[in-house]
Amino acid sequence: MIKNISEIPSDTQLEADVCIIGSGAAGLAVALSLAGRGLKIILLESGTEVFSKKTQKLYAGELADEKLHSPPDKYRHRRFGGSTAIWGGRCMPFDPIDFKQRDYIPQSGWPITHADLAPYFPVANRLLEAGEYAYDADTVFGINKPMFQGFASDILMTNNMERFSCPTNVGSRYRQRLSLADDIQVILGANCTGIRLNTTADHVDHLDVASLDGKKMAVKAKQIVVATGGIEVARLLLASNDICKTGIGNQQDLVGRYYQCHIAGNLGKLTILGPTSNVRHGYEVSAEGIYCRRRLSLTEETQQKIKAGNMVARLHFPKIVDPSHKVGVLSGLFLAKNFISYEYGKRLKDGQASLSTYLKHFSNIILDPIDTFRFLYHWLTKRTLAKRKFPSVILSNKSNQFTLEIHSEQYPNPDSRITLIDECDALGMPRVKVDWRYLPADIESVRRSLDVFVEEFRKSGVGNFEFDASKLEEDLTRFGAYGGHHIGTARMGKDPETSVVDANCKVHHVDNLYIASSAVFPTSGQANPTLTIAALSLRLADHLAQKMQAPCQSKHVVI
Amino acid sequence: MKVLILGATGHVGSRLVTHLNRQGYETIAASRGRLNTNIPGRITLDSLNLEALTHYLKGVDAVVNCVAGDKHSIGKGADILVQAAIVAGKPKIIHLSTMSVYGGHEGNITESHAFDPTYGWYAAAKCEAETYMQKYAAAGGQVISFRPGCVHGPGSHLWVSRPANLLRTYRLGDLGDAGDGWSNLVHVDDVVRAIHVGLKISKKAGEALFYNLAAPDSPRWNQYLFDLANGIDATPIKRISRLQLKLDSKILSPAIKIAQILCRKARRDASWLPEPLPPSLSRLFEQHIFLNAEKFSNEYDFTYMSYAQSLQESISWYNDIKY
Repeated sequence: MIKNISEIPSDTQLEADVCIIGSGAAGLAVALSLAGRGLKIILLESGTEVFSKKTQKLYAGELADEKLHSPPDKYRHRRFGGSTAIWGGRCMPFDPIDFKQRDYIPQSGWPITHADLAPYFPVANRLLEAGEYAYDADTVFGINKPMFQGFASDILMTNNMERFSCPTNVGSRYRQRLSLADDIQVILGANCTGIRLNTTADHVDHLDVASLDGKKMAVKAKQIVVATGGIEVARLLLASNDICKTGIGNQQDLVGRYYQCHIAGNLGKLTILGPTSNVRHGYEVSAEGIYCRRRLSLTEETQQKIKAGNMVARLHFPKIVDPSHKVGVLSGLFLAKNFISYEYGKRLKDGQASLSTYLKHFSNIILDPIDTFRFLYHWLTKRTLAKRKFPSVILSNKSNQFTLEIHSEQYPNPDSRITLIDECDALGMPRVKVDWRYLPADIESVRRSLDVFVEEFRKSGVGNFEFDASKLEEDLTRFGAYGGHHIGTARMGKDPETSVVDANCKVHHVDNLYIASSAVFPTSGQANPTLTIAALSLRLADHLAQKMQAPCQSKHVVI
Repeated sequence: MKVLILGATGHVGSRLVTHLNRQGYETIAASRGRLNTNIPGRITLDSLNLEALTHYLKGVDAVVNCVAGDKHSIGKGADILVQAAIVAGKPKIIHLSTMSVYGGHEGNITESHAFDPTYGWYAAAKCEAETYMQKYAAAGGQVISFRPGCVHGPGSHLWVSRPANLLRTYRLGDLGDAGDGWSNLVHVDDVVRAIHVGLKISKKAGEALFYNLAAPDSPRWNQYLFDLANGIDATPIKRISRLQLKLDSKILSPAIKIAQILCRKARRDASWLPEPLPPSLSRLFEQHIFLNAEKFSNEYDFTYMSYAQSLQESISWYNDIKY
């Protein structure tokens, strides 16, 4: 059942077995998985089914450095379906090594292993409409479609693959399932403004809930799941400070710290010899119609040997801002950057361009009309009008020259953090300040990996890779933290001294408070977080069902 | 036991005759005779003909009503069948109904759920037929109604070759939320076996029994459509938007339907025309109806064919007729 908080009388106290805060990928995965097991579930969602500026403004906050991080109300939507309303759809699981304790990465190591999540990844993959759980391109597409013809290396892999969701908005996609589930009550317009513990601080007594039109109510549930984004998790825990003065779960001053995104940038020059047909740089389509793409990555053993964090690289094109590439489509993108949403246009905006730069871009378009037209037609039919969208700009390969698009793990850093400030939002909740920082170790890790890339391409004989070592830090931090991946603010661990939640995502010392969010990831890995968030949420749902002795689902509600 | 099968040349009827004969039943396979068939011993019988029907019913222990067709043959046909059976000494009636009697209802649907005859002509006719069956029980007859979901397997145009043809031409595919309904598939041989079980049930007269039939492991439509596409080599499948489905079912398909009728009237071949995708079909794909068929399997220890096997049989059949 889906209703709006306006339909509920003020000062009501609702009761449930499980109350979930947030209806994004995490919250809906928990709710759908718990459905049909005889439990009474309440799902609170701040927004409604349409975007509202007023609701979105509740996310607003401060930045320590505007160049390093985007404003906290960007890359997120506060509405039914959460940020899956605007995500890019890139899916890939965390790798086994991401869960391991690595002595060269301080604070690394999860209390669970890849095998613990393995049963949940396939379901999460379907839930996000990324098709079959298969991430080895050699298996899915065969070895006859390699990234580079003739390339062989024992340590630099090209079979690692990413899959793309539509991108699916889980709100609209699963709306009907939720509205028909008689054991789920979705309440829209309902903001959790406080988690209220009992006086001994080991149990959540109730949640304070408020709407923007001033309605207040409470929810009393046996189990609470906070399924908000990585920034809001820290905010809610820190702001719920009536019993624990430093906030819930924050006895060790860990909540909001170790805030990670990903280190990303577009750099270097990869030249492949021979005909352009030797390279497969774009998307392949799987049997289910899913767009898939190979990436470059180093084996686990190599990462350990060179003591580098996990990293992937995709084949990319010359820097868009520099008109000397003479590619009409890229120039078109550059000129259109102000019409592209903040989230997707950000990496197109690189300093002030002069009038002559604009003119050169314009002439690129005029001089390259056929390619520009072909691109626009493809974009219109395969992206704008398509439901399963072509994931990104892929140009025809004319020169066998590429740059590498790097997406790398960020080392956990206690000084990179989310804190509360004095200013409050319309509901009286303190706003956040985002102080994202990176370490020299983050850059050096990428450098060590790229040195291996250089060597492996040289040895392979199929081409040559080079990068400007002196500009590496600049290239990797030009646009600051990779947007939208908010990780680590309520880290998971065995030891309550060094972590906020346990292996079951339960806040230490509070017996009924759980967190389903990338906030619990102790480390960031190479992967975009959504798929792993969904898998971890499905695992949490199973744990809760077991804890509450709820039976298995009579029918598969999740997939 | 001697059994009269009405609609014996149809999808379910033809396989039922074969099955019962093999099981040692004495059968009379009856049909209106519109379809050519090689069923041995078939008789031509219009089930709307009260007198002829009564004549045949007098000699049998049970009758299975597999009659398909238009509104009249379904609704009026059931009325006449009941009248004839009462006169003929009340043989047992096994009536093949449908989940369509539940109309547009969604959720977990058991046999006690209310009917919805407002959901199109087919639902109306099938609801009407069931009320006659209840009258038969009230008059002291024995009647068992089966309400299957979508009957697929070899020979199923509706749920195998039709979607397969639509998949091959990219008019169906991954439908997203528009294909999120449960498929409620049931293999034709499971329906046949259920009817066989029904023939053996001896309940006291005057009681009407109703059973839903659907394999409990039937997936949602999106999954079935993908599995089918995969089996017939129609991959990669396409994501079909709601707009495309709507334009197809509301504009293209009615035009195809009209063309089919015109061809038939002009006695021309209509097989070259593309497959119509009626609005009722796209409506079904997004209907979250979970046909709960536990009652029958629990009461009679009935096990359905697995989804994997029924899918494989459907695919093999389609690939055989296609190539």
